[in-house]
Amino acid sequence: MLKKLQIKKHALTAISYMLPLVVASGLLIAIGNLTGGTVIENYKESFSIPSALVSLGVLGMGLLAPVISAAIAYSIADRPGIAPGLLMGLIANAIGAGFLGGMLGGFIVGFFVLFLKNHLKVPKWAEGLMPMMIIPLISSVVVGLLMFFVLGLPIVWATDGLTSFLTNMQGSMKFVFGAILGGMAAFDFGGPVNKVASLFADGLLLEGIYEPEAVKILASMVPPFGVTISWILAKALRKKRYTKKEEDNIKIAFPMGVCMITEGVIPIAAVDLLRVVTSCTLGAAVGGGLSMMWNVGSPVPSGGMFIVPAMTHPLLFTLALLIGSTVTGVMLFLWKKEPVENQDFSLDEEEEEMDLSGIKIS
Amino acid sequence: MNIVGISACTAGIAHTYIAKEKLIKTGQELGHNVRIETQGTIGIENELTKQEIEAADLVIIAADIKVSGKERFKGKRIIEIPTHIAIKAPKQLYKKIEMELSASK
Repeated sequence: MLKKLQIKKHALTAISYMLPLVVASGLLIAIGNLTGGTVIENYKESFSIPSALVSLGVLGMGLLAPVISAAIAYSIADRPGIAPGLLMGLIANAIGAGFLGGMLGGFIVGFFVLFLKNHLKVPKWAEGLMPMMIIPLISSVVVGLLMFFVLGLPIVWATDGLTSFLTNMQGSMKFVFGAILGGMAAFDFGGPVNKVASLFADGLLLEGIYEPEAVKILASMVPPFGVTISWILAKALRKKRYTKKEEDNIKIAFPMGVCMITEGVIPIAAVDLLRVVTSCTLGAAVGGGLSMMWNVGSPVPSGGMFIVPAMTHPLLFTLALLIGSTVTGVMLFLWKKEPVENQDFSLDEEEEEMDLSGIKIS
Repeated sequence: MNIVGISACTAGIAHTYIAKEKLIKTGQELGHNVRIETQGTIGIENELTKQEIEAADLVIIAADIKVSGKERFKGKRIIEIPTHIAIKAPKQLYKKIEMELSASK
Protein backbone atom coordinates (compact mmCIF):
# COMPACT_ATOMS: atom_id res chain seq x y z
CA MET A 1 0.00 0.00 0.00
CA LEU A 2 2.58 2.54 1.11
CA LYS A 3 4.81 1.58 -1.77
CA LYS A 4 1.99 2.11 -4.21
CA LEU A 5 1.49 5.69 -3.01
CA GLN A 6 5.08 6.49 -4.06
CA ILE A 7 5.48 9.14 -1.37
CA LYS A 8 9.23 9.29 -1.92
CA LYS A 9 8.95 9.85 -5.66
CA HIS A 10 6.54 12.74 -5.17
CA ALA A 11 8.77 14.35 -2.54
CA LEU A 12 11.86 13.95 -4.74
CA THR A 13 10.00 15.48 -7.69
CA ALA A 14 9.22 18.49 -5.50
CA ILE A 15 12.86 18.80 -4.46
CA SER A 16 14.00 18.68 -8.07
CA TYR A 17 11.68 21.54 -8.99
CA MET A 18 12.61 23.47 -5.86
CA LEU A 19 16.42 23.26 -6.11
CA PRO A 20 17.07 25.84 -8.86
CA LEU A 21 14.73 28.26 -7.10
CA VAL A 22 16.47 27.88 -3.72
CA VAL A 23 19.92 28.23 -5.25
CA ALA A 24 19.03 31.33 -7.24
CA SER A 25 17.20 32.98 -4.33
CA GLY A 26 19.88 32.11 -1.79
CA LEU A 27 22.65 33.45 -3.97
CA LEU A 28 20.69 36.64 -4.67
CA ILE A 29 20.33 37.22 -0.93
CA ALA A 30 24.01 36.46 -0.30
CA ILE A 31 25.31 38.68 -3.11
CA GLY A 32 22.93 41.46 -2.08
CA ASN A 33 23.90 41.18 1.59
CA LEU A 34 27.61 41.14 0.81
CA THR A 35 27.28 44.32 -1.23
CA GLY A 36 25.37 46.09 1.54
CA GLY A 37 21.78 45.53 0.49
CA THR A 38 18.78 45.15 2.77
CA VAL A 39 15.18 44.11 2.18
CA ILE A 40 13.24 46.94 0.58
CA GLU A 41 10.41 48.07 2.84
CA ASN A 42 8.88 50.68 0.59
CA TYR A 43 9.13 50.45 -3.18
CA LYS A 44 7.91 54.01 -3.65
CA GLU A 45 11.17 55.37 -2.28
CA SER A 46 14.46 54.96 -4.15
CA PHE A 47 16.50 51.83 -3.51
CA SER A 48 19.91 50.44 -4.49
CA ILE A 49 20.81 47.52 -6.73
CA PRO A 50 22.04 45.37 -3.80
CA SER A 51 18.74 45.96 -2.02
CA ALA A 52 16.88 44.95 -5.18
CA LEU A 53 18.89 41.70 -5.24
CA VAL A 54 18.19 40.91 -1.57
CA SER A 55 14.51 41.63 -2.02
CA LEU A 56 14.26 39.44 -5.10
CA GLY A 57 15.93 36.61 -3.20
CA VAL A 58 13.53 37.00 -0.29
CA LEU A 59 10.58 36.99 -2.69
CA GLY A 60 11.98 33.83 -4.25
CA MET A 61 12.29 32.14 -0.87
CA GLY A 62 8.66 33.00 -0.27
CA LEU A 63 7.80 30.98 -3.36
CA LEU A 64 9.28 27.81 -1.92
CA ALA A 65 6.27 26.46 -0.04
CA PRO A 66 3.92 27.06 -3.01
CA VAL A 67 6.41 25.47 -5.43
CA ILE A 68 6.94 22.43 -3.19
CA SER A 69 3.23 21.99 -2.73
CA ALA A 70 2.44 22.46 -6.44
CA ALA A 71 5.21 20.10 -7.54
CA ILE A 72 4.04 17.35 -5.17
CA ALA A 73 0.45 17.73 -6.34
CA TYR A 74 1.63 17.74 -9.95
CA SER A 75 3.64 14.58 -9.40
CA ILE A 76 0.58 12.87 -7.93
CA ALA A 77 -2.24 14.18 -10.09
CA ASP A 78 -0.51 15.64 -13.15
CA ARG A 79 -1.48 19.09 -14.45
CA PRO A 80 -4.74 19.54 -12.51
CA GLY A 81 -2.68 19.37 -9.32
CA ILE A 82 -0.65 22.50 -10.03
CA ALA A 83 -3.20 25.26 -9.39
CA PRO A 84 -4.64 23.91 -6.12
CA GLY A 85 -1.11 22.93 -5.10
CA LEU A 86 0.10 26.52 -5.44
CA LEU A 87 -2.84 27.70 -3.35
CA MET A 88 -2.12 25.20 -0.55
CA GLY A 89 1.48 26.41 -0.45
CA LEU A 90 0.29 30.00 -0.08
CA ILE A 91 -1.90 28.95 2.84
CA ALA A 92 1.11 27.29 4.45
CA ASN A 93 3.06 30.55 4.08
CA ALA A 94 0.21 32.65 5.42
CA ILE A 95 -0.44 30.63 8.57
CA GLY A 96 3.26 30.15 9.28
CA ALA A 97 3.34 26.42 8.58
CA GLY A 98 6.34 26.86 6.29
CA PHE A 99 7.66 24.09 4.12
CA LEU A 100 6.23 21.30 6.29
CA GLY A 101 2.79 22.75 5.67
CA GLY A 102 3.56 23.08 1.98
CA MET A 103 4.54 19.44 1.75
CA LEU A 104 1.51 18.21 3.64
CA GLY A 105 -0.84 20.45 1.67
CA GLY A 106 0.68 19.25 -1.59
CA PHE A 107 0.21 15.60 -0.70
CA ILE A 108 -3.36 15.98 0.48
CA VAL A 109 -4.52 18.15 -2.39
CA GLY A 110 -2.66 15.96 -4.90
CA PHE A 111 -4.35 12.77 -3.78
CA PHE A 112 -7.69 14.55 -3.52
CA VAL A 113 -7.42 15.83 -7.10
CA LEU A 114 -6.42 12.36 -8.28
CA PHE A 115 -9.47 10.96 -6.51
CA LEU A 116 -11.75 13.54 -8.14
CA LYS A 117 -10.23 12.81 -11.55
CA ASN A 118 -10.88 9.11 -11.23
CA HIS A 119 -14.19 9.00 -9.38
CA LEU A 120 -16.15 12.16 -10.01
CA LYS A 121 -18.55 11.52 -12.87
CA VAL A 122 -20.20 14.49 -14.55
CA PRO A 123 -22.66 14.69 -17.45
CA LYS A 124 -21.12 14.86 -20.90
CA TRP A 125 -21.78 18.60 -21.34
CA ALA A 126 -19.83 19.38 -18.15
CA GLU A 127 -16.72 17.41 -19.00
CA GLY A 128 -14.95 20.47 -20.36
CA LEU A 129 -15.50 22.18 -17.04
CA MET A 130 -13.82 19.42 -15.06
CA PRO A 131 -10.17 20.48 -15.40
CA MET A 132 -10.97 24.17 -15.76
CA MET A 133 -13.40 24.76 -12.93
CA ILE A 134 -14.77 21.79 -11.06
CA ILE A 135 -11.52 20.12 -9.95
CA PRO A 136 -9.60 23.29 -9.05
CA LEU A 137 -12.56 24.76 -7.19
CA ILE A 138 -13.67 21.71 -5.24
CA SER A 139 -10.15 20.69 -4.27
CA SER A 140 -9.18 24.21 -3.23
CA VAL A 141 -12.32 24.64 -1.14
CA VAL A 142 -12.14 21.27 0.59
CA VAL A 143 -8.40 20.99 1.21
CA GLY A 144 -8.01 24.74 1.66
CA LEU A 145 -10.52 24.84 4.50
CA LEU A 146 -8.95 21.71 5.95
CA MET A 147 -5.58 23.47 5.95
CA PHE A 148 -6.91 26.68 7.50
CA PHE A 149 -9.04 25.15 10.23
CA VAL A 150 -7.79 21.65 11.00
CA LEU A 151 -4.31 20.79 9.79
CA GLY A 152 -2.71 24.22 10.00
CA LEU A 153 -2.42 24.46 13.77
CA PRO A 154 -0.57 21.20 14.48
CA ILE A 155 1.88 21.96 11.67
CA VAL A 156 2.50 25.44 13.00
CA TRP A 157 3.14 23.87 16.40
CA ALA A 158 5.45 21.30 14.88
CA THR A 159 7.34 23.97 12.94
CA ASP A 160 7.61 26.20 16.02
CA GLY A 161 8.64 23.24 18.15
CA LEU A 162 11.34 22.18 15.73
CA THR A 163 12.57 25.75 15.38
CA SER A 164 12.83 26.37 19.11
CA PHE A 165 14.34 22.91 19.68
CA LEU A 166 17.09 23.69 17.20
CA THR A 167 17.74 27.22 18.40
CA ASN A 168 17.89 26.10 22.04
CA MET A 169 20.23 23.18 21.48
CA GLN A 170 23.51 23.36 23.36
CA GLY A 171 27.07 22.04 23.02
CA SER A 172 27.22 18.27 22.65
CA MET A 173 23.62 18.06 21.52
CA LYS A 174 24.48 20.38 18.67
CA PHE A 175 27.45 18.27 17.74
CA VAL A 176 25.30 15.12 17.59
CA PHE A 177 22.69 16.83 15.46
CA GLY A 178 25.31 18.24 13.08
CA ALA A 179 27.02 14.87 12.89
CA ILE A 180 23.82 13.03 11.96
CA LEU A 181 22.89 15.64 9.37
CA GLY A 182 26.41 15.71 7.94
CA GLY A 183 26.66 11.94 7.80
CA MET A 184 23.34 11.69 6.01
CA ALA A 185 24.24 14.40 3.54
CA ALA A 186 27.49 12.68 2.58
CA PHE A 187 26.23 9.09 2.72
CA ASP A 188 25.12 8.60 -0.88
CA PHE A 189 26.92 11.39 -2.74
CA GLY A 190 23.94 13.45 -3.83
CA GLY A 191 21.48 10.55 -3.84
CA PRO A 192 18.11 10.23 -2.07
CA VAL A 193 19.44 10.15 1.53
CA ASN A 194 21.41 13.29 0.80
CA LYS A 195 18.28 14.91 -0.61
CA VAL A 196 16.33 14.17 2.57
CA ALA A 197 18.99 15.91 4.66
CA SER A 198 19.04 18.68 2.07
CA LEU A 199 15.32 19.25 2.16
CA PHE A 200 15.43 19.41 5.94
CA ALA A 201 18.21 22.01 5.88
CA ASP A 202 16.53 24.04 3.12
CA GLY A 203 13.27 24.00 5.04
CA LEU A 204 14.94 25.31 8.19
CA LEU A 205 16.55 28.04 6.11
CA LEU A 206 13.04 29.31 5.44
CA GLU A 207 12.45 29.46 9.19
CA GLY A 208 15.57 31.60 9.54
CA ILE A 209 17.85 28.86 10.92
CA TYR A 210 21.09 28.90 8.95
CA GLU A 211 23.29 26.33 10.73
CA PRO A 212 22.01 23.09 9.12
CA GLU A 213 22.55 24.63 5.70
CA ALA A 214 26.24 25.11 6.47
CA VAL A 215 26.46 21.46 7.57
CA LYS A 216 24.87 20.39 4.31
CA ILE A 217 27.35 22.39 2.24
CA LEU A 218 30.25 21.08 4.27
CA ALA A 219 29.10 17.47 3.93
CA SER A 220 28.84 17.82 0.16
CA MET A 221 32.47 18.87 -0.04
CA VAL A 222 34.05 16.48 2.46
CA PRO A 223 33.96 13.41 0.15
CA PRO A 224 35.79 14.98 -2.82
CA PHE A 225 38.24 16.83 -0.56
CA GLY A 226 38.78 13.77 1.64
CA VAL A 227 39.51 11.51 -1.32
CA THR A 228 41.92 14.12 -2.65
CA ILE A 229 43.71 14.30 0.71
CA SER A 230 44.08 10.51 0.82
CA TRP A 231 45.57 10.59 -2.67
CA ILE A 232 48.02 13.36 -1.73
CA LEU A 233 48.99 11.43 1.43
CA ALA A 234 49.57 8.33 -0.66
CA LYS A 235 51.72 10.30 -3.11
CA ALA A 236 53.70 12.00 -0.34
CA LEU A 237 54.40 8.74 1.47
CA ARG A 238 55.06 6.86 -1.77
CA LYS A 239 52.32 4.35 -1.16
CA LYS A 240 50.00 3.27 -3.88
CA ARG A 241 46.30 3.63 -3.14
CA TYR A 242 44.71 4.45 -6.47
CA THR A 243 44.97 3.19 -10.02
CA LYS A 244 45.87 5.53 -12.85
CA LYS A 245 42.24 5.72 -13.85
CA GLU A 246 41.12 6.54 -10.32
CA GLU A 247 43.78 9.25 -10.08
CA ASP A 248 42.29 10.85 -13.18
CA ASN A 249 38.87 10.65 -11.57
CA ILE A 250 40.18 12.35 -8.42
CA LYS A 251 41.61 15.17 -10.50
CA ILE A 252 38.11 15.75 -11.83
CA ALA A 253 36.37 15.20 -8.50
CA PHE A 254 38.35 17.90 -6.68
CA PRO A 255 37.35 20.93 -8.78
CA MET A 256 33.80 19.57 -8.81
CA GLY A 257 33.99 19.45 -5.01
CA VAL A 258 35.05 23.10 -4.88
CA CYS A 259 31.74 23.85 -6.61
CA MET A 260 29.92 21.59 -4.08
CA ILE A 261 29.22 18.80 -6.54
CA THR A 262 29.80 15.54 -4.66
CA GLU A 263 28.99 13.27 -7.58
CA GLY A 264 32.60 13.28 -8.80
CA VAL A 265 33.40 10.80 -6.04
CA ILE A 266 30.92 8.22 -7.35
CA PRO A 267 33.36 6.53 -9.77
CA ILE A 268 35.89 6.19 -6.95
CA ALA A 269 33.30 4.96 -4.48
CA ALA A 270 31.76 2.51 -6.93
CA VAL A 271 34.84 0.29 -7.05
CA ASP A 272 35.35 0.30 -3.28
CA LEU A 273 31.94 1.06 -1.87
CA LEU A 274 32.31 0.07 1.78
CA ARG A 275 35.59 1.84 2.48
CA VAL A 276 34.86 5.03 0.58
CA VAL A 277 31.29 5.45 1.84
CA THR A 278 32.23 4.74 5.46
CA SER A 279 35.19 7.12 5.43
CA CYS A 280 33.24 9.90 3.71
CA THR A 281 30.25 9.56 6.03
CA LEU A 282 32.44 9.62 9.14
CA GLY A 283 34.48 12.60 7.92
CA ALA A 284 31.33 14.54 7.06
CA ALA A 285 29.82 13.65 10.44
CA VAL A 286 32.85 15.01 12.30
CA GLY A 287 32.97 18.15 10.16
CA GLY A 288 29.21 18.65 10.38
CA GLY A 289 29.21 18.25 14.14
CA LEU A 290 31.99 20.82 14.56
CA SER A 291 30.36 23.28 12.18
CA MET A 292 27.07 23.01 14.05
CA MET A 293 28.75 23.32 17.46
CA TRP A 294 30.65 26.42 16.32
CA ASN A 295 27.38 27.98 15.13
CA VAL A 296 28.47 28.34 11.54
CA GLY A 297 25.48 29.40 9.48
CA SER A 298 24.95 29.79 5.76
CA PRO A 299 22.16 31.90 4.28
CA VAL A 300 22.86 30.30 0.88
CA PRO A 301 21.94 26.69 0.20
CA SER A 302 24.43 25.98 -2.56
CA GLY A 303 27.59 27.23 -4.24
CA GLY A 304 30.53 25.52 -2.55
CA MET A 305 33.70 27.45 -1.68
CA PHE A 306 32.42 30.51 -3.55
CA ILE A 307 29.78 31.27 -0.95
CA VAL A 308 31.93 30.65 2.12
CA PRO A 309 32.50 34.43 2.52
CA ALA A 310 28.74 34.83 2.87
CA MET A 311 28.64 32.55 5.91
CA THR A 312 28.49 33.73 9.50
CA HIS A 313 31.92 32.31 10.44
CA PRO A 314 33.88 31.68 7.23
CA LEU A 315 37.11 30.73 9.02
CA LEU A 316 35.49 28.28 11.41
CA PHE A 317 33.63 26.75 8.47
CA THR A 318 36.88 26.26 6.58
CA LEU A 319 38.46 24.73 9.67
CA ALA A 320 35.56 22.30 10.16
CA LEU A 321 35.69 21.40 6.48
CA LEU A 322 39.41 20.80 6.70
CA ILE A 323 39.15 18.61 9.81
CA GLY A 324 36.31 16.58 8.33
CA SER A 325 38.13 16.08 5.05
CA THR A 326 41.31 15.10 6.86
CA VAL A 327 39.42 12.45 8.85
CA THR A 328 38.11 11.01 5.59
CA GLY A 329 41.48 11.29 3.90
CA VAL A 330 43.54 9.66 6.66
CA MET A 331 40.98 6.92 7.13
CA LEU A 332 40.93 6.11 3.42
CA PHE A 333 44.70 6.16 3.23
CA LEU A 334 45.06 3.71 6.11
CA TRP A 335 42.16 1.49 5.14
CA LYS A 336 42.40 1.25 1.37
CA LYS A 337 44.38 -1.63 -0.08
CA GLU A 338 47.03 -1.33 -2.73
CA PRO A 339 45.32 -1.56 -6.10
CA VAL A 340 46.29 -3.88 -8.93
CA GLU A 341 47.08 -1.62 -11.85
CA ASN A 342 46.38 -3.93 -14.73
CA GLN A 343 42.99 -4.94 -13.54
CA ASP A 344 40.21 -3.14 -15.31
CA PHE A 345 38.35 -1.22 -12.67
CA SER A 346 35.59 -0.09 -14.96
CA LEU A 347 32.31 0.02 -13.12
CA ASP A 348 30.68 -2.74 -15.10
CA GLU A 349 32.97 -5.41 -13.74
CA GLU A 350 31.69 -5.34 -10.22
CA GLU A 351 28.07 -5.15 -9.40
CA GLU A 352 26.41 -5.07 -6.06
CA GLU A 353 23.82 -7.77 -5.51
CA MET A 354 20.46 -6.12 -5.94
CA ASP A 355 17.02 -7.33 -5.08
CA LEU A 356 15.09 -6.88 -8.28
CA SER A 357 12.21 -9.16 -7.34
CA GLY A 358 9.77 -6.30 -6.85
CA ILE A 359 10.24 -5.02 -10.37
CA LYS A 360 7.66 -6.01 -12.91
CA ILE A 361 7.34 -5.36 -16.58
CA SER A 362 3.90 -4.06 -17.34
CA MET B 1 16.06 -6.04 -28.83
CA ASN B 2 15.27 -2.44 -29.58
CA ILE B 3 15.00 -0.61 -26.29
CA VAL B 4 14.07 3.01 -25.62
CA GLY B 5 13.89 4.70 -22.27
CA ILE B 6 13.93 7.77 -20.06
CA SER B 7 16.29 8.63 -17.21
CA ALA B 8 15.65 11.33 -14.62
CA CYS B 9 17.06 11.93 -11.11
CA THR B 10 16.32 14.41 -8.35
CA ALA B 11 19.03 16.99 -8.85
CA GLY B 12 18.92 16.34 -12.58
CA ILE B 13 22.61 16.97 -13.18
CA ALA B 14 24.55 13.77 -12.55
CA HIS B 15 22.71 10.52 -11.86
CA THR B 16 20.41 11.10 -14.84
CA TYR B 17 23.36 10.95 -17.19
CA ILE B 18 25.24 8.17 -15.39
CA ALA B 19 22.10 6.01 -15.56
CA LYS B 20 21.79 6.74 -19.26
CA GLU B 21 25.40 5.77 -19.96
CA LYS B 22 25.11 2.57 -17.95
CA LEU B 23 21.92 1.46 -19.66
CA ILE B 24 23.34 2.14 -23.12
CA LYS B 25 26.79 0.65 -22.52
CA THR B 26 25.62 -2.51 -20.80
CA GLY B 27 22.79 -2.90 -23.30
CA GLN B 28 25.18 -2.68 -26.24
CA GLU B 29 27.49 -5.24 -24.67
CA LEU B 30 24.54 -7.60 -24.50
CA GLY B 31 23.63 -6.91 -28.12
CA HIS B 32 20.67 -4.60 -27.62
CA ASN B 33 20.00 -1.39 -29.44
CA VAL B 34 19.38 1.19 -26.69
CA ARG B 35 18.27 4.83 -26.90
CA ILE B 36 17.73 6.84 -23.72
CA GLU B 37 16.14 10.25 -23.40
CA THR B 38 17.31 12.33 -20.42
CA GLN B 39 15.00 14.56 -18.43
CA GLY B 40 17.45 16.54 -16.32
CA THR B 41 17.02 19.95 -14.74
CA ILE B 42 18.07 21.47 -18.08
CA GLY B 43 14.99 19.89 -19.70
CA ILE B 44 14.55 17.06 -22.19
CA GLU B 45 17.63 16.10 -24.17
CA ASN B 46 18.03 13.38 -26.77
CA GLU B 47 14.28 13.24 -27.25
CA LEU B 48 12.97 9.91 -28.51
CA THR B 49 11.41 10.03 -31.95
CA LYS B 50 8.08 8.50 -32.84
CA GLN B 51 9.77 5.94 -35.08
CA GLU B 52 12.16 4.89 -32.35
CA ILE B 53 9.32 4.35 -29.92
CA GLU B 54 7.30 2.45 -32.49
CA ALA B 55 10.23 0.15 -33.26
CA ALA B 56 10.97 -0.50 -29.58
CA ASP B 57 10.29 -3.86 -27.96
CA LEU B 58 10.66 -2.50 -24.45
CA VAL B 59 10.65 0.80 -22.57
CA ILE B 60 12.94 1.33 -19.56
CA ILE B 61 12.08 4.21 -17.29
CA ALA B 62 14.89 4.81 -14.80
CA ALA B 63 13.64 7.67 -12.68
CA ASP B 64 13.45 8.85 -9.07
CA ILE B 65 10.97 11.57 -9.96
CA LYS B 66 7.94 12.06 -12.16
CA VAL B 67 8.83 11.93 -15.85
CA SER B 68 6.87 13.61 -18.60
CA GLY B 69 5.64 12.12 -21.85
CA LYS B 70 4.79 8.63 -20.59
CA GLU B 71 1.65 8.59 -22.76
CA ARG B 72 3.93 8.13 -25.77
CA PHE B 73 4.52 4.55 -24.65
CA LYS B 74 0.90 3.45 -24.66
CA GLY B 75 0.62 -0.26 -25.48
CA LYS B 76 4.37 -0.83 -25.00
CA ARG B 77 5.93 -3.09 -22.43
CA ILE B 78 7.36 -0.83 -19.75
CA ILE B 79 9.73 -1.47 -16.87
CA GLU B 80 10.09 1.23 -14.21
CA ILE B 81 13.04 1.39 -11.84
CA PRO B 82 14.83 3.94 -9.66
CA THR B 83 18.06 5.31 -11.16
CA HIS B 84 20.30 3.59 -8.62
CA ILE B 85 19.43 0.17 -10.04
CA ALA B 86 20.46 1.26 -13.53
CA ILE B 87 23.67 2.72 -12.09
CA LYS B 88 24.69 -0.05 -9.71
CA ALA B 89 23.33 -3.18 -11.36
CA PRO B 90 22.68 -2.74 -15.07
CA LYS B 91 23.71 -6.30 -15.92
CA GLN B 92 21.35 -7.80 -13.37
CA LEU B 93 18.64 -5.53 -14.67
CA TYR B 94 19.04 -6.74 -18.24
CA LYS B 95 19.18 -10.35 -17.06
CA LYS B 96 15.96 -9.81 -15.16
CA ILE B 97 14.35 -8.24 -18.23
CA GLU B 98 15.33 -11.16 -20.43
CA MET B 99 13.99 -13.63 -17.89
CA GLU B 100 10.68 -11.83 -17.48
CA LEU B 101 10.18 -11.48 -21.21
CA SER B 102 10.95 -15.10 -22.01
CA ALA B 103 8.70 -16.25 -19.16
CA SER B 104 5.76 -14.30 -20.49
CA LYS B 105 6.12 -15.53 -24.04
